[in-house]
Amino acid sequence: MPVVTLYLDRLQRLVGGKANKNKIMEVLPFLGLDIEEEQKEFVRVEYSPNRPDYATDVGIASGLQGLLGIKKGQVKINIKKEKKKFLIKTDGSVKKIRPFISAIIARNGKLDDESIRQLIALQEDLHFGIGRRRKKASIGIHNLDSMSPPLRYTTVPKDHEFVPLASNQSVTVKEILENTSTGQEYSYILGDNSKVPIILDAKNHTVSFPPIINSALTAVSTGTKNILVEVTGMDKNAVDDSLSVVATTLQNLGFAISDVMVDAKSSSEIFKARTIPLDPVLVNQILGLDLTVPKICDSLKKCRLDAVPRGKKILCSVPRFRFDILGEMDLVEEIALGHGIENLSPSLPPSISVGEKNSVTKKLDQITSVMIGLGFTEALNSSLTSKQVLYNYTKRDSSEIIEVSESKSLEHTVLRDSMLPGLLENLSKNIHESYPQKLFETGVVFTKGHPINETVNLACVSAHKDTNFTEIKSILQSLLKTDSSIICKTNASTHPSFASGRTAEILVGEKSIGVIGEMDQQVIDNFKIRVPVSGFELKLSGLIFD
Amino acid sequence: MSLVLHPIEKTMIKILKETPNLTPEEIAERSNLSIDQTRRGIEWLRLKNLAAVLESEKSFVALGKNGLASIEEGLPERKLVRLIENQPMSFDDLRKKLLDEISIAIANAKRNDWITIQKGESSSVVSLKQKPDQTSEEKLILLVGKNKIPVEHIKDLSALESLKKRPDYIIIETIKSKTVSLTDEAKVIDLDSIDSGAIDVTADAPVIFAARTHPLKDTINEIRETFVSLGFTEVLGNFAQPSFWNFDALFTPQDHPAREMQDTFYIKGKTAEKFATPSQIRQVSDSHKKGWKYDWNVDAAKKMVLRTHTTCVTVKYLAENKPEEARVFSLGRVFRNEKVSYKHLVEFNQVEGIVVGKNVSLRDLMGIQREFYRKLGLSKIKFWPTFFPYTEPSLQTMVYNDKLEKWVELFGMGIFRPEVTKPFGITRPVLAWGGGIERIAMLKYGLNDVREFYNNNLGWLRSVPKCQ
Repeated sequence: MPVVTLYLDRLQRLVGGKANKNKIMEVLPFLGLDIEEEQKEFVRVEYSPNRPDYATDVGIASGLQGLLGIKKGQVKINIKKEKKKFLIKTDGSVKKIRPFISAIIARNGKLDDESIRQLIALQEDLHFGIGRRRKKASIGIHNLDSMSPPLRYTTVPKDHEFVPLASNQSVTVKEILENTSTGQEYSYILGDNSKVPIILDAKNHTVSFPPIINSALTAVSTGTKNILVEVTGMDKNAVDDSLSVVATTLQNLGFAISDVMVDAKSSSEIFKARTIPLDPVLVNQILGLDLTVPKICDSLKKCRLDAVPRGKKILCSVPRFRFDILGEMDLVEEIALGHGIENLSPSLPPSISVGEKNSVTKKLDQITSVMIGLGFTEALNSSLTSKQVLYNYTKRDSSEIIEVSESKSLEHTVLRDSMLPGLLENLSKNIHESYPQKLFETGVVFTKGHPINETVNLACVSAHKDTNFTEIKSILQSLLKTDSSIICKTNASTHPSFASGRTAEILVGEKSIGVIGEMDQQVIDNFKIRVPVSGFELKLSGLIFD
Repeated sequence: MSLVLHPIEKTMIKILKETPNLTPEEIAERSNLSIDQTRRGIEWLRLKNLAAVLESEKSFVALGKNGLASIEEGLPERKLVRLIENQPMSFDDLRKKLLDEISIAIANAKRNDWITIQKGESSSVVSLKQKPDQTSEEKLILLVGKNKIPVEHIKDLSALESLKKRPDYIIIETIKSKTVSLTDEAKVIDLDSIDSGAIDVTADAPVIFAARTHPLKDTINEIRETFVSLGFTEVLGNFAQPSFWNFDALFTPQDHPAREMQDTFYIKGKTAEKFATPSQIRQVSDSHKKGWKYDWNVDAAKKMVLRTHTTCVTVKYLAENKPEEARVFSLGRVFRNEKVSYKHLVEFNQVEGIVVGKNVSLRDLMGIQREFYRKLGLSKIKFWPTFFPYTEPSLQTMVYNDKLEKWVELFGMGIFRPEVTKPFGITRPVLAWGGGIERIAMLKYGLNDVREFYNNNLGWLRSVPKCQ
């Protein structure tokens, strides 16, 4: 989850009213912000990716104003028409590569270092979340006064050259894609087209190479007064949603927002609020409250939305940047927040049912208690393990291996098809502890099927200088007899992990349910265990439960 | 307290009663115990305040090389008087007989007033004055002889001092020794009356370890019991799930970052063929199209993943049973493709409960939470809003931890979004909550590293108390 640093003096100034720092700290969590770190000067809060407007303190201040009752109702984007139209012409060649572009202008504002830092963070969040790693949408924020309108959104071959942001050297698009980390990370979005999207100004200067990098020419700094924000992408909704968040944030920072003509269409169209009808009965049913319609409307306004009663319903107006609100249920949550979670008193509904454990759980509890009674301590191992432990060290056949893709951890790449290897690994990590060591585990093992079979196994090991087949067979017999009056036989067999001549398959009736024996010396050596080990593993599924 | 004595101790007390003050060696000799057994026994008796050990130094007198020779030959002055017993001898002749000893022989014999010396023509002549008696030095030499004699046995200390002045006549040897004696308490012990069947119950016994369930399993069981006591029935499900039930059924869009391989484990080369009814698939597809505005792809739904939460089990239960009223929970392993650290595991346990009912509300959900935590012994809780993709409204429980002295985030909760329930024909609200169990277990066992639960370190398993 993303984190934003809030400087309390600045936040207090932005919130205004009579809100002191203590009150602000108290209310922050009720915006859904988790306090990660609290210092005298600042606080770091984690926010949900569905509220990218909370990536900046102006966004959070706007939310706080609502809950504190300082300012209620919707934050509308007050979009002016530019006196002299600012035009972006799109070329048909972008259609197959990155078809959509939207833009706005933000005028007469001031940016300090902190605002720039937060804007960049906001941009990155939008890129990652709604932008789906810049595929659906990516944002460019530019110094408006550095370029000559009209702009063209078009495509160029990969030998096109310009000076990219944070550089002073002209390089080709090809070099950017191949030699920079951003280029390498995002070039997949452009596919194997020979041309790439580009935004050029009237003098053919490069403004941006979406979705990779802006040009150095249009870089924003603390001296920048007027801004152009353009968003390009593969998804029209994501493009306009992203733009609405940036536009709202810039307006909150004190900029005046005005439109851009993309071909013949004004970007003012983008910021129309949605109206969602809401049933007050549903609100009260879900929250378990009895709120009046005016109270519901007030709660919505405290969450910076607009609401008016209309007949038996409430018409709620939702600004574009609140695309986290999909329907009525999302509004119910807003009402809970506006009403105050702390004002909701918990109630305990009477239970109409008698609870019960699953029958498999019950059987496992029982067999566990028998193993404890036989002197074995319970171990817990991951189902995901390594090829080395599962197959190499135990000399087992790995032809039926089940792997997961791109595991970040080398010890967790393969799904276990047997429990014994894990227990042997446990013994190998306990060679400095006193003996005898007796361990068991019950758990799920995986085998190939349609698509995967999951069965529950039990395995145990006994490690000490005198352990042998007879000891472990006594344990097996006693376990099955005590647990379920099952009589088993052991017939000579072979198994790569067990010593030859001292291993057997476990039979119940005619059915083979597992393997038992003294562990093979090579296997014991592979695990660097210094005492003899005996053990068994059996399938519980189909034996003591289905 | 009745006195319990080891057979070694009894033997030693018996001997010391007969002969007080013995050295360990003497006790060993008289008891047929080995010297090691004796020393151990002395230590035991001393700890029980039954024996006192006196450490002392003892000096012994023995004869040196010249002293031993003088037993036969006599002291030099005695040799001299023997030579002149019958007639005086000249100095020169005497020197030929007495060699180096001539000076000391003349000096001592003169001091004893045994001889007279007259000047002769070429050399002086020594003649016997009187027949000398045995001297005290000679008596001492005979007394010591070839033995070692304790210094205190020698009465004529001046003879000893004078012999010590002669080279190689006397050796004084100092030996450190222990003398064991019984304390007054021990002296009155009636050995026959001590119960011979008793043993020393205060002695340390060998350490053994109880076989036990895993501490994490104890916490899992406690949480399971808590759910059952609140009227919830347990449902189980597979670890490997089609993406459909893990993601699509929970309204997670197919391009959501959580579905990427870097967050979720996909099973290589495995897809599910039959995973839901055609109607379920169609409804879910429609829900995604309407809510997220994209073309839902059935192939992405087929990919097998290791479940990232137990919610896939509960939602499948809802879809298959369409209950009007229900209290159900699911508990088990879930998987996340994370780097393993003290905070994160790739595989951990999660529990999730759901309540379906006609009039169930968010306040009811909060009430069930409060009761759930109360049963786990956590009474100081509060609720904060949060975000979960498939619930709305959503809350999280904050629990005050007395050990850490701060609020800790525990289970999340919410009401399933209609986009999740409607496709499966569920119209009533579904309250849901859940979270990771290791987190609670870490608080319970005071662990800072979550990996400890899966290390199966016997040192820890054997030492951590069952009751926390």
